[in-house]
Amino acid sequence: MIELNINGRDVQVDAEPDTPLLWVLREQLGMTGTKFGCGIGMCGACTIHFAGTAVRSCTLPVAGAVGIPITTIEGLDSPVQGAWIAEQVPQCGYCQSGQIMAAAAMLAQNPRPTDADIDAQMTNLCRCATYDRIRKGIKAAAATIPLPPTPEPSLEPAPEPVPEEQPTESGEASQ
Amino acid sequence: MSEILNVSRRDFLAGSGSLVLGFTLVGMPRVAAFDETVVLGSTNEQGAVFSLNAWLRVAGNGVVTIRMGASEMGQGVYTSLPMLLAEELDVAWNDVRIESAPAGKEFRRESPSFPGKVQLTGGSESVRGYWNILRKAGASARAMLIEAAAERWGVSPLACTTLAGSVRHGQRSATYGSLASDAARIATPGNVTLKDPADFKLIGTSPPRSDLPPKVDGSAVFGIDVQVEGMVNATVVACPHYGGSLVSFDDRKARGVAGVLDVFQVDNAVAVVADTFWHAKKASRLLEIVWEKGEGAGVDDAAVSALLREALGQGKKRYGVGPKPEGMDIEAVFETPFLEHAPIEPMNATAWIQKDRVDVWAPTQAQARLKRRAAKLAKRPQRQVFVHTTFLGGGFGRRGFDDFGDYAVKIATRMEGTPVKLIYTREETFTHGYHRPASMCRMRAKLGEDGLPSDLHMELSCQSILAEYLPPLLLEAPFATNTAIDGLKHSPYSIPRQQVDYKRVTLPVPVGWWRSVHGSHNAFYRECFLDELAEKAGQDPVEYRRALLQGSPRDLGVFELAVDKAGPVPEGLHRGVAVFECFGSYVAEVVDIEVIDGVVYPRRLVAAVDCGMVVHPDTVKAQIMGGATMGLSTTLYGKLSLVDGAVQETNYHQYPLLGMNQAPRVEVHIVPSAEPPGGVGEVGLPPAMGALCNAIYAATGKRIRTLPVADQLKA
Repeated sequence: MIELNINGRDVQVDAEPDTPLLWVLREQLGMTGTKFGCGIGMCGACTIHFAGTAVRSCTLPVAGAVGIPITTIEGLDSPVQGAWIAEQVPQCGYCQSGQIMAAAAMLAQNPRPTDADIDAQMTNLCRCATYDRIRKGIKAAAATIPLPPTPEPSLEPAPEPVPEEQPTESGEASQ
Repeated sequence: MSEILNVSRRDFLAGSGSLVLGFTLVGMPRVAAFDETVVLGSTNEQGAVFSLNAWLRVAGNGVVTIRMGASEMGQGVYTSLPMLLAEELDVAWNDVRIESAPAGKEFRRESPSFPGKVQLTGGSESVRGYWNILRKAGASARAMLIEAAAERWGVSPLACTTLAGSVRHGQRSATYGSLASDAARIATPGNVTLKDPADFKLIGTSPPRSDLPPKVDGSAVFGIDVQVEGMVNATVVACPHYGGSLVSFDDRKARGVAGVLDVFQVDNAVAVVADTFWHAKKASRLLEIVWEKGEGAGVDDAAVSALLREALGQGKKRYGVGPKPEGMDIEAVFETPFLEHAPIEPMNATAWIQKDRVDVWAPTQAQARLKRRAAKLAKRPQRQVFVHTTFLGGGFGRRGFDDFGDYAVKIATRMEGTPVKLIYTREETFTHGYHRPASMCRMRAKLGEDGLPSDLHMELSCQSILAEYLPPLLLEAPFATNTAIDGLKHSPYSIPRQQVDYKRVTLPVPVGWWRSVHGSHNAFYRECFLDELAEKAGQDPVEYRRALLQGSPRDLGVFELAVDKAGPVPEGLHRGVAVFECFGSYVAEVVDIEVIDGVVYPRRLVAAVDCGMVVHPDTVKAQIMGGATMGLSTTLYGKLSLVDGAVQETNYHQYPLLGMNQAPRVEVHIVPSAEPPGGVGEVGLPPAMGALCNAIYAATGKRIRTLPVADQLKA
């Protein structure tokens, strides 16, 4: 049995350790909001939050997910979702779980992304080509997020910035 | 494992309290009389429910449920189509629920392109095809509700009016919900009067799309998400060589994978059935299969090009204006490759064959054909076959084909009694499609003294996308060849002598409808050549088109609007323009680009569309944006290559799609029109191809005559 923490709950699954997390979510937990698109970490339809970072679950072996808090679209509560409705972003909607997860993770770390930030970090594919509205949706969501107050000047040295984990861009085909 | 999940699964689905979809709970397949797979709407039915016709039912609380015969694949028909009915019924949009209808002849539509009725989502025909049917269904139900009220009050129906879900007479008022039981006993009126479009209240507005709430919380059920109790999963490995065949296979290693239940041949493929798709996929990689290349042997890109080129001089005349064009002094040959639809949801379908019942759940554009084929394959009468249409994770034409439904039914027939979900791997989806055919076009023209073309000769060579359905003799009939030369014939440009020749070529590659069909290459050929003519004449491409479009007011209208809204070319950018008309609509696009190190960045796209009367303006804008951006993606990167008839691109790393960093900002402007509705889903795509290549010339001085652009601009 493998123990996972998904959407704030502990769950045990019986799966071979090399099973991608995507298929554990979809086939063993019946959580079908996370989508299968390419199986090689390329399209981003399977994006989930892995300790808060957007990660492609189709190339993530479930054994590697033990002890890491995982959030899926079913457990997400983000202003991105409301903004997606307000801007009428989705068309077919199939890639949008992943787009929303990617956008929510980006905004959690960077509540005021520039266009260049969006270009660099929103690497999920959309065959309906809703990109222009995804961009608008991200900006609309960002506008609802209050910025943290500017910290008081401190004599303590600033902590080292944590390098941002990039989602897998062109993972080797796992099959 | 399953015990834990069945108890606690709901808790994992945050927000699942609002789930109303039929297949989200394992073990609860809903196959009742109204056997919906998709249910949308903010309010639920309460009280007794009465059907007033096949399309709608009214609940005691006034909620009206409208059933959709078309498929929702992103084009917004689960919003625009119910609006047609709700407009005539006169019900508040907030009281409308929407359900997917089963395959059935009562859910067919008309077609602007052929006689008879179909239940098929394609050809940008949904609004046009249901325009009369759904409005009549709404008006007819309204008349029945009025009659029920008039009887109750003992007044003339003519003295009654309706307002947002209630019938009124003087001070009296009765809700549709309170009248539904009486109305259901009244015969359907033979004739109803439809509203004058000037009186439309809902049509022409943009209520939020009904299908978006479940698409932002993960609860929308696409075909791949269907779960039926006791279901097993399957995948197929079909012969990679188009025109080839399966000789033999060794499944010993595949059968060793945990969870594998069976391995067997289906037609020209090997099917692997397992407890989960993951296990089936894993096992499918271990199959050792011997293939025969057959007709695919030697079919590669060079052979396809050679065949298309050789055919250019052999075409028959299919269209002409004035005397035969002659004395040509400018010539260009253009070529476009095979394309894959590449929707992000892989092909799939779920089938369950029981003794006296067949159920198929599928993301299909062709549920009626799927029903007929399932009945035949499972050897059951059609009345025992139930097709449930799910959401489609992209269609673009691909899901109008039968392969995935057929495989699912055939595999489920072998596994009779057990529901089987078939999923193609992405690799299988890429390499077994019904592709946009490769084609070649030779354009020749002569310019008059004013620099405008006096003669234009267009020669096209291409496979027929109808070859799958028609005998060769019919493929030469005008209705078949006219499809291929769409946009070359009836060009909006005033050119005194024109001729279009077409030669149909034969290859073992399956081809079919791909968003905008033949407009997806003919717009590139026509609009790029027009820019070449303008250059030869020493004229500006915008002025040149303007001069040639004077006899085509709707093309000219969109062209002027797009050019006007685009304004001057922003500094540092380079511009291309194009106009195209197909599926009853007219679109002009202006594309401003930047080229950095040989990479094209379309920064801005301004489109104008005239699609006649508009049902839902925001959906029109979304479709033009998506179509145009998909056109840019295709122009820059879309190509399938063949080796021995086998597609070489197996996944998105080899078949790039335009991403966020290259997608333009898009503005769409709609020309107000009282003309009948035109199509919308496909029409945004074609002009983007020509406009982009014309912009590339402006930026780099390089004429793109072969697609995709790919690395052609790299040093």
